[in-house]
Amino acid sequence: MPCELPDRRPVNTLGELERSVLEHLWAVGTPVTATRLRDEFADRALALTTVHTVLTRLEQKGFVAHDESRPRQFQAVGTREEHVAGLMHEVLGQAGDRQAALARFVGSVNDDEARLLRELLAGDGR
Amino acid sequence: MLPVTAAALAVLAALLAWPVPALLGRARWPGRDPLVALVCWQALGLAGGLSIIGALLVHGLAPWGSSLPGAWWSWIRGEPAGGAVRGDHWVAMTLAAVLALELVGVLALSWYRTARTRRRHRQLLELVVAPGAEPDTRLLEHPAPVAFCIPGARPLLVLSSGMVAELGEAELAAVVAHERAHLREHHHLYLLPFVAWEAALPVLPAAGRAHAAVRELVEMRADDAALPELGGADPRRTLARAIVAAAGRPGGAEVPGGALAVTGGAVRARVVRLLEPPASLPRSGRIAALGSAGLLLLLPTALLLLPAL
Repeated sequence: MPCELPDRRPVNTLGELERSVLEHLWAVGTPVTATRLRDEFADRALALTTVHTVLTRLEQKGFVAHDESRPRQFQAVGTREEHVAGLMHEVLGQAGDRQAALARFVGSVNDDEARLLRELLAGDGR
Repeated sequence: MLPVTAAALAVLAALLAWPVPALLGRARWPGRDPLVALVCWQALGLAGGLSIIGALLVHGLAPWGSSLPGAWWSWIRGEPAGGAVRGDHWVAMTLAAVLALELVGVLALSWYRTARTRRRHRQLLELVVAPGAEPDTRLLEHPAPVAFCIPGARPLLVLSSGMVAELGEAELAAVVAHERAHLREHHHLYLLPFVAWEAALPVLPAAGRAHAAVRELVEMRADDAALPELGGADPRRTLARAIVAAAGRPGGAEVPGGALAVTGGAVRARVVRLLEPPASLPRSGRIAALGSAGLLLLLPTALLLLPAL
């Protein structure tokens, strides 16, 4: 009997699902229902409740919003670029900075300082 | 008599609140050995706290004995005081308790808040980052050149696509090595007390200056720790190039410029330090610095535990 390859399903952790759903919503751009999403991810055999859980979590994080139609339709809030830009402002902004929540390689300096730094590098010229 | 001990502790506390941190902040030698300097700052902070709480506690308990342990024991057992107990003794005792609770409380609160912020940032970032070139790095699609790491139980090291585009391979390796050093050596723990105490004591300029100093030293230490990981003919120059390239590119309105305390001067100091490395601290210097730190901790401890002067 020929051997069969193991079933290669993608990992269905909640985090990974959130990523996939979000990517899909960004790609599609138009509102979709939870049922539609479940069908789109048919290869993962997700329960409708799972899809709803993922969508709720994404809503809590501000990535997704729903409208009031029946059945509910979900859409990504803003584009990926807008989200990343907003995230950068939050992560690198003053509030997080005061708490030292992260370590940043270097902040940006003004033009005069930048010129000085480049001169330093050049002056050390080797 | 214990009141003399209290006065000595009070003097020590005042010294550690103002002139000593000012001197350490202005000194040149920390750039020659940031790690030793970081240890000194921790000792300074700890000794300062011990001194001020100790001064209040010793003054408050003075009527009950001639040494702090003895007076404490006597007071706990409800024995009558040997001398007159005035209002200021009670005030001092209360103040000591309040201050102790506050310092510890602020530390715990700061730890909790920072951990929560980190968790939130990590969750949001994990939804939008892609795997990076190295297994422990992540790539973020963003034009501004940024690189950062989120320390903690599940660390995250992020490079922006703008950073990858701006820097060469060697410089990128330098950036990653620098961030890895932060994570490996748990620098966020060195910063925690100073973050907390600046938040708790915004009126004390020394607290803000201490925080800024420790922050700069942590960056210098990460620079030092990254160098051995880098190949090439001149790893110092490579790292300096990476700093200049990343700092000089105007992120404009795309990205916040950076820390309140990190001015252009601090970046320049880092670059100069790499291009013209200062002579490392001789063994005698290191011993002197660490010895002083030890003494700084020993002094209030001794004053607190030994019988009165």
